[in-house]
Amino acid sequence: MYSSNNHAKNARIFCQDEGRVDWHSKALWNLRAKRDKAAASIPEWEALRQAGSQIKLHTLSNLSHYLQMFEKQCVANGIHVHWAKDASEHNKIALDILAKHQVKKLVKSKSMLTEECHLNPFLEQHGIEVIDTDLGERIIQLNNQPPSHIVVPAIHMKKEEVGDLFHEKLHTPKGESDPTRLTRAARQHLRDQFLSADAAMTGVNMAVASEGAVVVCTNEGNADMGVNLPALQLHSMGIDKIVPDHDSAIVLLRMLARNAIGQPITTYSSFYRGSKINGEMHIIIVDNGRTEIMKDKILAESLKCIRCGGCLNTCPVYRRSGGFSYNYTIPGPIGIAVGAQHDDSNTIPWACTLCGSCTYVCPTKVPLDKIIAHHRRLKAQAGKLPFGKKHYMPLVGKLMSSPTMLNCAMSSARVALKIIPHSIIKPFSGAWGQYRELPVSPKSSFDTWYKQHTAAKKEAK
Amino acid sequence: MSSREQILQALAQSSIDIEMPQADLSAFKSPATDTNTLLARFGESVTTVAGNLVDATGEQAIIIEQHINDLMANNNQVLSLVEGVSGNQQMPDSPHELQHIDYAILPAKFGVAENGAVWINTQMLNRHDTQAHRALPFICENLIIVLDKQNIIATMHQAPELMSLANDDFGVFISGPSKTADIEQALVVGAHGACTLTIYLV
Ligand code: SF4
Repeated sequence: MYSSNNHAKNARIFCQDEGRVDWHSKALWNLRAKRDKAAASIPEWEALRQAGSQIKLHTLSNLSHYLQMFEKQCVANGIHVHWAKDASEHNKIALDILAKHQVKKLVKSKSMLTEECHLNPFLEQHGIEVIDTDLGERIIQLNNQPPSHIVVPAIHMKKEEVGDLFHEKLHTPKGESDPTRLTRAARQHLRDQFLSADAAMTGVNMAVASEGAVVVCTNEGNADMGVNLPALQLHSMGIDKIVPDHDSAIVLLRMLARNAIGQPITTYSSFYRGSKINGEMHIIIVDNGRTEIMKDKILAESLKCIRCGGCLNTCPVYRRSGGFSYNYTIPGPIGIAVGAQHDDSNTIPWACTLCGSCTYVCPTKVPLDKIIAHHRRLKAQAGKLPFGKKHYMPLVGKLMSSPTMLNCAMSSARVALKIIPHSIIKPFSGAWGQYRELPVSPKSSFDTWYKQHTAAKKEAK
Repeated sequence: MSSREQILQALAQSSIDIEMPQADLSAFKSPATDTNTLLARFGESVTTVAGNLVDATGEQAIIIEQHINDLMANNNQVLSLVEGVSGNQQMPDSPHELQHIDYAILPAKFGVAENGAVWINTQMLNRHDTQAHRALPFICENLIIVLDKQNIIATMHQAPELMSLANDDFGVFISGPSKTADIEQALVVGAHGACTLTIYLV
């Protein structure tokens, strides 16, 4: 499903349609602007971020304790708890539960974890019909695509494309592209699915250890429509979703929707602490590489993430390269942070300008730019620098550390920029130079200017 | 070794060994705010999230009854779980049968000024009917909430004391009607849950 092309190549595909890229970039920046407004309306916002970070660090550093507390409380509430060390075990557990109940149709609400585990194709192979019920998720499911954003999964599509898709699959009138009418058609179509489903599955936004409860947030109400109709409900969660208690969950809940889309809270924030009468509730707790991430002190902080999508919305690279350019289920800065280790192209950590905007907006202070720089270091240490960088990066290191060599190199570069035609030098700048003009060479370096300037000043005295 | 043990054992090798203390959140429990300020803020928030707020306090109480009678006169299916307000539908045996409900009228335990959310849990749903289905607030076409104006809190931080989730319970913060912006970021009210939300303050 995901290629392992290098990031620049993937981005080039998305960038072919300039109008779309501009729209994509603006739409996401609009979310960032709404986020800023929502954050500014809370005077204690920075204190909340600090608290959010501390809550997550505290929980992660005592994770074994809190996971066991959570399990104990769940069992006391009559909830079945399962543990899965990896994606395939998670999928198998889910299948076993569904098979036991002879489930033919499963309605699902958004869960990045089940995307990560590729649960849908697995269940479909075993004869279970899986319906994604979040509107954006349903659109891309009908379009046979993975999500391109973790909060707004169909942000890469234009309304006319959705219209064509719905015409084909849901028989809306040809040429219909009005978002309201398309949404109404989807509501009707998905109502039928909810009413005929045998089981429901959701992701988990927070798992409250002291209560044995899971918190599920949606704007559409699809998770709750799903969970509350059939008898059987399943919830999949990464081990990193635990928070100690309600007070901590509330801190994250106050920031989640504000940071995602500038809304004060999601329309529905549901706390499930047990099944409905005569129902059955299962929770699958999944590791799938998270304990491995936790062995590295810097990478570990990526597990503070609450998947608000704020870092994607602000990222200058994501906004203009699209969600399918990252070779991983999760794109953008957080996608690099948790996915770069799986990237065979070894280019994804470089899909970043290190501008730090992501870190600045993150509600739990995940140090994204630091983590991404760390990934570059890890790739270099493993001898996996991307083609091109492999050859010159070690030299750059040496060059940068010697002022004399650097000065000498820079002055020859200035000369080269002046006397050699750009068409000849440009290929040497790689992907960077392809859509950019090379800089005009300054007359002298800062170093030379500084020396002359201070000398002139001294003379004046 | 079970997967559970493997995970717990792997966590023992975690490098996050800093003993970060539990965050002190007492500073967020905001000082008491007077009812009028809270009411004004709650009203603004409900509007922001595309909900409707109607003052039905004191002499205004009559308007709920009038509204409900109008709805029923127009052939709407109305199911009420609020004491003193009667609809024309009973709680069915299966939640699926709720799909025809046009208006559900539910009591909320408290409202939150900062985001216009109201809290409904199974205790509230089951106050008068022991078998109320959890699906009701979501599956009804339109949702009407009755809320005591004394029960509005300033921020979410005051909520945990009032949420009172019993074992095996379920509760939900509902802030406005269901909505989506998944098609080209255009806001559409009425996704899968209720298409409108009206809150009567009593
Ligand atoms: S890293 Fe931070 S900003 Fe990015 S999705 Fe996670 S919580 Fe949101």
